[in-house]
Amino acid sequence: MTTREFKTVGTAVRRVDADDKLSGRAQFTGDLQVPGMAFCKLVTSPLPHARITRVDASRARALSGVYAVLTSAELVNMETHYGSDKKDRPVIAIDKVRFQGEPVAAVAAIDLATAEAAVELVDVEYEELPTVTGIDEALDPSGEPVHESNVCHEYGYEWGDVDAAFRECDRVFEDTFEFPMVYHYAMEPHTCIVSYEPDRIRLWTSAQHPFLVQAEIARLFGRQLDQVQVVVPFVGGGYGSKSYTKIEPLVTALSREAGRPVRLALSVDEAMRTVRRHAARGTIRTGVMNDGTIVARECTGYVDTGGYTDNGVRVTERFGDRMPGPYSMANVRVKTRGLFTNSTPAGSYRSIGGPQAIWACESQIDVIAHALGMDPFEFRVKNLVREGEEVRRGRRPIEGDLEYALRRVADEFGWNSWRPGPTPPGVKRGIGFACGVTNSGASPTSTSLVRFHADGSATVYIGSAEMGQGSRSVMAQIAAEELRIPYGKVRVVASDTTAVPWDRSTGSSRSTTLMGLAVHDAAIDIRQQLLDLAAEHFEAFPEEIEAEDGRASFKGESVAFAALVRNMFGGSGGELMGRGYVTPKHASGKLRQDTVFWEVSIGAAEGEVDTATGEVRLLRYYSISDPGKAINPKQVEGQDEGAAMQAIGHTFFEEMLYEDGQLLNPNLVDYRVPVFTDLPHEFETVLIESGNGPGPYGAKGVGEGGIVCVAPSVANAIFNATGVRISTLPLTPERVWRALHEAGQEAG
Amino acid sequence: MKPFRLHEPTDVHEAASALADAGGGAALYAGGTELLLAMKSGLLAYDTLINVKSIPGLDAVSADGDTVVIGASATHSAVECDPLVRKRMPLLAEVEHGVANLRVRNVGTLAGNLCFAEPHSDPATLLLVYEAGLDIAGPSGTRRITVGDLQTGSYETSLEPDELLIAVRVPALPAGMCAAYSKFGYHHRPTLGIAAALGVKDGVVTEARLALGCVSPVAQRLSRAEDVLRGERVDTLTEGASALREASRLASEDADAVEDMHGGVDYKEHLVRVFMERTLLRALARNGGGDG
Amino acid sequence: MAEAPDTLAVAFELNGAPVEATVEPQTPLIDMLRERFGLTGTKRSCDVQVCGACTVLLDGAPVSSCTVPAFEARGRAVLTVEGFAADDASSPLVEAFVNNAAFQCGFCTPGMLLAAKSLLDADPAPSEETIKDYMRGNVCRCTGYKKIVEAVQEAAEAGR
Repeated sequence: MTTREFKTVGTAVRRVDADDKLSGRAQFTGDLQVPGMAFCKLVTSPLPHARITRVDASRARALSGVYAVLTSAELVNMETHYGSDKKDRPVIAIDKVRFQGEPVAAVAAIDLATAEAAVELVDVEYEELPTVTGIDEALDPSGEPVHESNVCHEYGYEWGDVDAAFRECDRVFEDTFEFPMVYHYAMEPHTCIVSYEPDRIRLWTSAQHPFLVQAEIARLFGRQLDQVQVVVPFVGGGYGSKSYTKIEPLVTALSREAGRPVRLALSVDEAMRTVRRHAARGTIRTGVMNDGTIVARECTGYVDTGGYTDNGVRVTERFGDRMPGPYSMANVRVKTRGLFTNSTPAGSYRSIGGPQAIWACESQIDVIAHALGMDPFEFRVKNLVREGEEVRRGRRPIEGDLEYALRRVADEFGWNSWRPGPTPPGVKRGIGFACGVTNSGASPTSTSLVRFHADGSATVYIGSAEMGQGSRSVMAQIAAEELRIPYGKVRVVASDTTAVPWDRSTGSSRSTTLMGLAVHDAAIDIRQQLLDLAAEHFEAFPEEIEAEDGRASFKGESVAFAALVRNMFGGSGGELMGRGYVTPKHASGKLRQDTVFWEVSIGAAEGEVDTATGEVRLLRYYSISDPGKAINPKQVEGQDEGAAMQAIGHTFFEEMLYEDGQLLNPNLVDYRVPVFTDLPHEFETVLIESGNGPGPYGAKGVGEGGIVCVAPSVANAIFNATGVRISTLPLTPERVWRALHEAGQEAG
Repeated sequence: MKPFRLHEPTDVHEAASALADAGGGAALYAGGTELLLAMKSGLLAYDTLINVKSIPGLDAVSADGDTVVIGASATHSAVECDPLVRKRMPLLAEVEHGVANLRVRNVGTLAGNLCFAEPHSDPATLLLVYEAGLDIAGPSGTRRITVGDLQTGSYETSLEPDELLIAVRVPALPAGMCAAYSKFGYHHRPTLGIAAALGVKDGVVTEARLALGCVSPVAQRLSRAEDVLRGERVDTLTEGASALREASRLASEDADAVEDMHGGVDYKEHLVRVFMERTLLRALARNGGGDG
Repeated sequence: MAEAPDTLAVAFELNGAPVEATVEPQTPLIDMLRERFGLTGTKRSCDVQVCGACTVLLDGAPVSSCTVPAFEARGRAVLTVEGFAADDASSPLVEAFVNNAAFQCGFCTPGMLLAAKSLLDADPAPSEETIKDYMRGNVCRCTGYKKIVEAVQEAAEAGR
């Protein structure tokens, strides 16, 4: 039997949301009108750490047009705390505030102007507590801890005999690297509308994980899952910032108080006090032999999770998982700790813990290569894990040939033939490399439903939130391919918990792989039913039937799928239903093993340093993306380029600046994100389709790989250009200049 | 934003009277690009905004001999694209093009930029080397000051509460002057701005105008550095020339740099040194070619 | 001197049609467009004129509707993404955005399209550097910009 050629898989199809998004018709949560909706404004703490001694909302409540004011006193007949791993976040501050900007009261009013006026009338008194800012202060036991202690989570693992390996190796290197707090800046700040009703709770919200929000709200308010409807319209960018549960519990409690629907749309300032990426410090000791063999690595690190845990547990773990790097090592010891500080709670952000870990890992790899007099590229290749080897003992072995991927990027970049070329005086050019693998996919659990209609069209039901990644188009492609119908005949209904079946989450690069499998299986379920109907029609065996382009054929005769469905129901209408369940048992248990797949990241950078000013220009950046199978190649590139551009932000200028617990730059004037003019002259994604992912057609996720290698490859390029190693991000001109100045390498 | 009332005067006198009557409760509104942000964030609050744009004619850009007269409600974009400005003072057009982003330039005015006295203003720095004049109207008539007399501090000007800037008068650089402007920084607003204009006659620098902005609350002329350059032969002013080094060193010494999010004092002083020399070299490279 | 009114009548041309609304002086243009006229394609994001999500064209020139007061529309023409998309002339740019995957989440896209339209109106054959410089005030957090530059180039070529 010849292999069937794909009809839509592998094609850059027109996105199913193109017409909506290019006409202004696409609806985001903030565009919705719910009848009777009140508007919410928050009263937030000006202090980063304080006991609340009094909250008096009586003047605000007395203001005409105010429906309700929520304070901790109203959190009765419900659970009061939420959180994904640790339920330490109160719905609204209770007795104590732990970061500047924490909501202390929330007003629901007839309009925003009234709500704003009422906010001024809420009297709150505080007893100020000493502030814990940054990792060092969190480690200092003398101050008032943020919670019972400042330790949120501890993590570690070990294999081999690390101490003996360090005793026996030729050289030991120890270096520490710092990664700043950064903010996602999803352009749509968090927005949520909740209608709390006697028999149900309805939420429209900018959430990545609608079913996790549903479960959290049901638990907090004592409802059954079927009484909580979570609808996620188009999401204006997520990148992790809208994962798990954010403002939904507060708005639900306020709606309950107000007796009507309530909308809260955060400002950027408020969103920057809602979630951010963990700042991190990683210290790596590496033992090597003189021939360049790495024999041991000991990684110790801290992540700053801010005022509450949010995703601090998992980030602490992934930071630890990802720090040793994709190298074959007989002896590894990792210990990481998540720490509470008085700052915005830190949650998921594209490749949780990944950029922080690989910044440390890959910067140090260059340090060692240089000290050993080896080419940093060859030093990496020498120590890489090989295909089928375990990156992490006991976890899924790496799928794919890393060395091949590294060499492809090096070739396309021109690593070996590169020369700095002529530069103006004081300007130095260099190249840098970095690579990493990240354990992705979160949990292997998704479900999907496909309805096949009596006119030959189909509707696919998925829980995935559409936040730009294009999952709806990919799912339509997979369904069309497996149903053997044109792409244009498939519609996708997504992320409404009353309409679509359960999915765990939209994140961790998991949707194409896991929801993709569920859709794939649901479509095949229908195709099998169609083949059975066709077999009946032709009086043949199902396996003798050919199915293509909406028709079933047998021995030169064909019949439309639509006719088969109509006939089954007596001629007038009807439809088929297909289901797809993805569980750890899927594919004979192949998904059960920890780490659904390994996402590969490789970066090669050419940079130019103005040694007089410290300004670094990224001239060229090459990244790799291995989607296993690129179901929509343009979207794959888009994921990689977008991730790399976000990384250009944290590499060069993004940093949330805190002083004594006060956020100094809570706006886009002072928090600088990348713009068009930051785009390097060459900004390339090298696409490799290794076909070995666990998803449909060998696909695997690519949403996060592009973000992890930019910073280390740029710092390595700066080192290559100037001989100066910078171990703290972002690489602002001032920081680079100071490093050059100290090393005596500045011009002028 | 707190509600405000809009007053729309039809002449300058009415605007000045309205300012006087409000006794500090009113502000002039032209582009609003700075003012409205400050009001939205609650940093400023006014009962009344007086719309300068309702005064006919104030949006004009016109010639008065060799001077280009820019009305108070002319936007950055209008200045940038004005044929007169492009012809006679292309450096002003170039610097206006670099202000913020297109949308801000389409709305924000040059006069408003000067009057808001935000410390990171490119035009405020550049206009010092053009030796621009400002026409200030008040209840008792109009007076003229130099652009250097306007700003007294961060967000502070010498304008009386009942006065308004009605025109920015920019004289073209005299024939034989060459000029350049440098800005540096990665933030939304510049970290440093340096303007240099040099008059050259018979191969000798006869006049030097140097201005520095953004590193300190108020943009300033750098007279000590200017003095060093006067009398120098142009052909000796090449990269690393001692006069350039000395001028840059004095510029740095006189910078009055302050530490903020844009950098520490030592770094800013260093940047002044680096960019003063670079700006002078760029200006000299345009010797004979005018100001742009 | 007449007492300044607390509300203003704003008569203007909205996406080619004459309209009128009464607003308070502090009402920003975006609120009038979204709340009075139901044109929710215009998005509010940074609210400080940096990101460009709220870009609309005022007499053909891009402005930040988050900050420009609604009364500035008096006697002028406002074009929003809805009006842009309804015009057949927009299709080369729209198709170029589709072909080049120049949008993802779509939140910046309305402003991005209007900025690109205004660029191509002013310069039908912009260089890559001109595109980057002209559009540097429009932030996209999803695409990495490269595909938007390519889309604008393709639309420019299609328009020639």
